[in-house]
Amino acid sequence: MNFATFSLKLSVQFFIRKGKAMLITTLSLLLTLSMGCTRKNKDAENTLNIVATSNIKTLDPIEASDVYSSGAVAQVYEGLLHYHFLKRPLQLEPLLAAQMPKVSKDGLTHTFTLRQGIKFQDDSAFPEGKGRELTASDFIYSWKRLADPNNKSEGFWVFDNKILGLNEWREQVSKGKATYETPIEGLQAPDRYTLIIKLKKPFYQLHYVLTMSYTSVVAKEVVERYGKEFLNHPVGTGPFKFESWTRNNQLVLTRNKDWSLHTYPTEGEASDKAQNYLEDAGKKIPFVDKVVIQEIIEDQPRWLNFMKGNLDYTSIPKDNFDSAVQNGKTTKELNDKGIHLQINREPDVTYTAFNMNDPILGKNENLRKAMSLAYDTDTSIKKFYNGRAITAQSPIPPEVDAYDPNYKNPYKEYNLSKAKEFMVKAGYPEGKGLAPIEFSSPNSTTNRQTAEFFKQNMEKIGVKINIVTSSWPQFTTKITEKKAQLWGIAWLADYPDAENFLQLLYGPNGSPGPNGANYKNKEFDELYEQASHLLPGVERDKIYQKMRDIFTKELPWIPGVHRLSYSTYHNWLKNFKFHSVINDNLKYFRIDTKERGEMKAKL
Amino acid sequence: MKEISLSSPLPWQEKSSEQKGRSLWQDALHRLAKDKVAMVSFVVIVFYLILAALSKLGIIFSNFDLVNNEIAYQSPSWEHWLGTDLFGRDVLARAAHGTVTSLTVGFAGTGLSMVIGTVLGALAGYFGGKMDEAIVWFYTTIDTVPYILLVIAFSMVIGSGLNTICLVIGLTFWVNHCRVMRAEFMKHRDREYVQSAVSLGASHLRRIFIHILPNVSHLVLINFSLGVVTAIMSEVMLSYLGLGVEPGVPSWGMMISDAKLELSRQVWWGLAGATGFMFFLVLSLILFNDALRDALDPKLKNK
Repeated sequence: MNFATFSLKLSVQFFIRKGKAMLITTLSLLLTLSMGCTRKNKDAENTLNIVATSNIKTLDPIEASDVYSSGAVAQVYEGLLHYHFLKRPLQLEPLLAAQMPKVSKDGLTHTFTLRQGIKFQDDSAFPEGKGRELTASDFIYSWKRLADPNNKSEGFWVFDNKILGLNEWREQVSKGKATYETPIEGLQAPDRYTLIIKLKKPFYQLHYVLTMSYTSVVAKEVVERYGKEFLNHPVGTGPFKFESWTRNNQLVLTRNKDWSLHTYPTEGEASDKAQNYLEDAGKKIPFVDKVVIQEIIEDQPRWLNFMKGNLDYTSIPKDNFDSAVQNGKTTKELNDKGIHLQINREPDVTYTAFNMNDPILGKNENLRKAMSLAYDTDTSIKKFYNGRAITAQSPIPPEVDAYDPNYKNPYKEYNLSKAKEFMVKAGYPEGKGLAPIEFSSPNSTTNRQTAEFFKQNMEKIGVKINIVTSSWPQFTTKITEKKAQLWGIAWLADYPDAENFLQLLYGPNGSPGPNGANYKNKEFDELYEQASHLLPGVERDKIYQKMRDIFTKELPWIPGVHRLSYSTYHNWLKNFKFHSVINDNLKYFRIDTKERGEMKAKL
Repeated sequence: MKEISLSSPLPWQEKSSEQKGRSLWQDALHRLAKDKVAMVSFVVIVFYLILAALSKLGIIFSNFDLVNNEIAYQSPSWEHWLGTDLFGRDVLARAAHGTVTSLTVGFAGTGLSMVIGTVLGALAGYFGGKMDEAIVWFYTTIDTVPYILLVIAFSMVIGSGLNTICLVIGLTFWVNHCRVMRAEFMKHRDREYVQSAVSLGASHLRRIFIHILPNVSHLVLINFSLGVVTAIMSEVMLSYLGLGVEPGVPSWGMMISDAKLELSRQVWWGLAGATGFMFFLVLSLILFNDALRDALDPKLKNK
């Protein structure tokens, strides 16, 4: 998933929306204050109060391309597989599948057996309003929906050119020659509970893809019943049912009483027992009766709501950081309120990409290296992340297999004299003869500040930078149209595999695909294809590391940082173990309502 | 007939001698000089102009772009009167340099809009008919588009930056002035002095620019000084929204945008610097404009 370089995106449109959100928050704050008595009863309710830091766009799984929408979708809809809630590194587990699939020796055929007796949530779209049983053909229907060109899903890349016959079916549909009834060779359901996926070529990330919201299962009756309104009427198989959604305000979900797919995990990481993550082992989930997801975009109202106990957990805004955390621990003020801190490494990378088609930057390896050597990453971490990040040496982030904590990229140090040497090698001693380079950036305050910082760094070696700011959509359009010369952006893992990062540099993925730098290297591409035939393991890691070395040699990006996420949560929230790739986590969280009632009175 | 002494002046003579040879402009200046508030405002504006000129020439506050990350977010001290910003730059120096940006946009942008507004207004009002209809249609159309959208459209075409802002302000803020000019030219085109110019064989252009324009020029001045205020505030707002001058160029709007996030870490001096500088400039311009309008209004002459 794509993110604005460094946190917040702000455009005029957002600004106006923000105004509204602020107003609503202020109003709801006023209401809370004036309804002190009723509020107390509300606290006794077994409700989980969480926050979305940007607006939820849709509740249709095939359109949920951003973190906030897919986070909401994953509570209502389910897929074949998911991640173990506690184990790290992440481990795949069957969800709607009865067990992990059987994979043929050539890696091309994956056979899934579905759990029997899984029911869709009750909805008037079904006969007599009762949810019917889930069958294997529902998956085929759901994935055809994802591939249907009329739906224009942003998520089709997960299956693009991978499943036998799916791309052909997609083309036929766009010509009007095929329908949902037309069979596809690669997707077969020989009986009610068996699903066979046949691939064009081995693709071991398939199992990761099957945890993503894009591939979760929907019911044909519901899609057809609601048509365009389907995105506002989610009906899945998941632990939570949709209750109401006021756009730009809040989404309310209630517990699905018929859900009993699995219980709270009985094992986890070694340290989980000591941290009380296993207290509820084997218990029936979900624990909470209701989930309220508030959409609060502004930092300050969000933080104040959390501090008042209206939200059970949240992240810390950059500018409140000093008052919340000191020396890696919560301050006394937070301690006294029973607020805890959880630090997680994010499988993400920020980077400054060079457009490799650019006649100046693309052809001059030494210039790129000089620029990388002139960038003071340590200061940027202090300034923009409150120290909450580690320097990225390559595109491969922590939390994925091939990450090597000891790897040092020779061009990823701050060394001005070395940078100046490279400027001489590049043919621009002291920057003489080099035309100004255009740096594109989204126009939010933080993005602009990071762009200014980049400019100041480059001035030290005589490279002149012109910053051009624009709104987030304009900015991304510029990249996909190959009009940008140099820009800063970030990538957050869709699944915990280095492949998800290396594909950002795979030649055939060039613009408008995810390889915005338009990097092309024959050897790199061959290795990428070679690795896609391999199962995770030492051999594959070696190939990934070879690719990393090619990256370092040519440096199509200046790697930036891998961020750490700092979440704060109240003591009454139990089982709070966070990972940004796991999004079906709300069913595991438990609220101690008695404690919340007592604590909130003091806040 | 009543006898009066030859040496004592006649009542009407006394009055006329005082008024003799004083044009509208001289009269206005005279009255303006008597207005204390106007004079103070004027001094402040001149102060800003000098400050901008000296900053621009690098004589004072030449350290405005000096980055020193070691001293980021320092509170006000003797060394840095208004503290330092995110990159350790002197806030006072940046605020002073913000004056250059503001005044450039204010004068260049408004200057351009005055030229456009005056010419189009004059043509519409003087010629009337089809020309009038076309111009009225044109400015009504421009007026219906929110100017933020125009700014975005322009910056897409010619790129953002100081020049764009001047151009955008010039190209969008002429409508009101154009309306005023149109009405004035309609009123004046049939006056006797224009008729006599016609009988002397003056061409259309001569009538418009040599005869009528000087008689409505006080309105240009009033609209200009009003326009400068709007332009300065627009520049601040656009830069705040990230649609303004290029990042790195000192601008009050950008400083306020930084301060939005900094306030919660108790960094108030960035906001104080930018808004303080803007407040006194805008206030002085508005007060001076008020006084100027009163001074140039013949109806208020004898009050």
